[in-house]
Amino acid sequence: MPPRPRIAVYWTGGCGGCDVSFLELGPALLDVLAQIEIAFWPALVDTKRSDVEALAPRSIAATLVNGTLRTEENVEMVHLLREKSELVVAFGACAYQGGVPGLANLATRDEILRRMSGNGFRPSPPPGGEAEDAPPGLLPQAKSLADEITVDYVVPGCPPMPPLIGLLLGALLSGDLPAPGHVFAHDKALCEECPRTREERKLTKVVRPHELVPDPNVCLLDQGMICLGPVTRGGCGAACPKAGMPCTGCVGPTPNAGDPGLAMISALGSLARAGEEGPGAFAAEDRLLDALVDPLGTFYKYSLPAYVRTGKRSDR
Amino acid sequence: MPETPFEPKIVAFLCRWCAGAGADLAGTSRIAYPANAVPIRVNCSGRVEPEWVMEAFRSGADGVFIGGCHPGDCHYVSGNYKTRRRIYLLKKLLAEMGIEPERVRLEWVSATEGAKYARVMKEFVAELKRLGPLHLEREEKTMPASPVLPRVGS
Ligand code: SF4
Ligand code: SF4
Repeated sequence: MPPRPRIAVYWTGGCGGCDVSFLELGPALLDVLAQIEIAFWPALVDTKRSDVEALAPRSIAATLVNGTLRTEENVEMVHLLREKSELVVAFGACAYQGGVPGLANLATRDEILRRMSGNGFRPSPPPGGEAEDAPPGLLPQAKSLADEITVDYVVPGCPPMPPLIGLLLGALLSGDLPAPGHVFAHDKALCEECPRTREERKLTKVVRPHELVPDPNVCLLDQGMICLGPVTRGGCGAACPKAGMPCTGCVGPTPNAGDPGLAMISALGSLARAGEEGPGAFAAEDRLLDALVDPLGTFYKYSLPAYVRTGKRSDR
Repeated sequence: MPETPFEPKIVAFLCRWCAGAGADLAGTSRIAYPANAVPIRVNCSGRVEPEWVMEAFRSGADGVFIGGCHPGDCHYVSGNYKTRRRIYLLKKLLAEMGIEPERVRLEWVSATEGAKYARVMKEFVAELKRLGPLHLEREEKTMPASPVLPRVGS
């Protein structure tokens, strides 16, 4: 029997959800575990950084990294794992495009540290601890994995859904690998696989999810919810729209859409209507669009570090 | 060292039917106005994608001007209305990004309004001079991580 491929799974600035997402594979997970050797997976087995350091270069078949890069230690670890791995996969929205923790890039590092210390937290060693026990230094900004190291593949999602994890594992275990840079999701928009009927009605109101019990069959965007389905890759099975929640874009934009926020602004600007178009409707159109209270957080919930370059702040 | 005065760089998207013709008229009428704008002629202001505006900023523009036809005059009926809504949303986004929304200016300029084109361009340049150059945050990989603060209570 050939040796089982060595796999590593590592978390940087994530929430743990990506590690837990493997459980959603159900019994299939047992088959997968029987076919691999776990070289390093802090969430699952007791392995240490020194175990990784002891490995020969490129001796891990594939390392799946989840989480955004936020600390000096995150950066050291991913460089170490890159050196020891044949393939590196950005697993989940954080590693792919910065993810939810990437929204922190709207604040400067000083603002973040001031806020933390104001709440009583200090990035210092515990009382009686050694200097090396101190938390690692915070990077000026959160970054995606590809900002630091070469990334071979991406499994998007927050966290990745079982069908997408299955695509990656199928490729890794069969050895039938796609071209480098492949994103394990569809290139077509989520709307293509969403069961709701979309008539591209005009957008005559903007509602937030808690303000409406949506019709079960009609497209949510047609009902006034800001659904990112038109600009987001499919592959997740449209779990959120099926449950009456608009897509928030966790799988990332389609190759066609490019920057998801600018693509949505283009689309919403075309669709929005407050009565007959013309100067008489301008004020009402503005009020309609004002109901979209946080365009930045809505459009770049998972991808701010990848797309948004903020205005320069003096204290950064 | 003497400071060279700041001259804002402007990218101006002008529709060919109205604002573009208005800008030409300003020139042929020999109306003096600041030469800060690089004009880009488009068929309709409705063709100006938010992506282009951001690309202009990323490429070093301090301001972006969009000139379209007056309401009711759009050669394609309603392209200017679509642009107005897009720019309205884009400005909200810019504000959240820490970029002054005043750096984007949408104006209706007809083919006969050479004088208006010159006036709004003057105003825009003055506004951008007040705002100063646009500096976008660049990811600074060389920037060191934050130093560890001194130990609590020691
Ligand atoms: S991608 Fe989502 S689930 Fe995974 S670590 Fe980031 S926030 Fe958590
Ligand atoms: S609900 Fe969302 S994903 Fe479904 S068709 Fe409408 S916009 Fe597309």
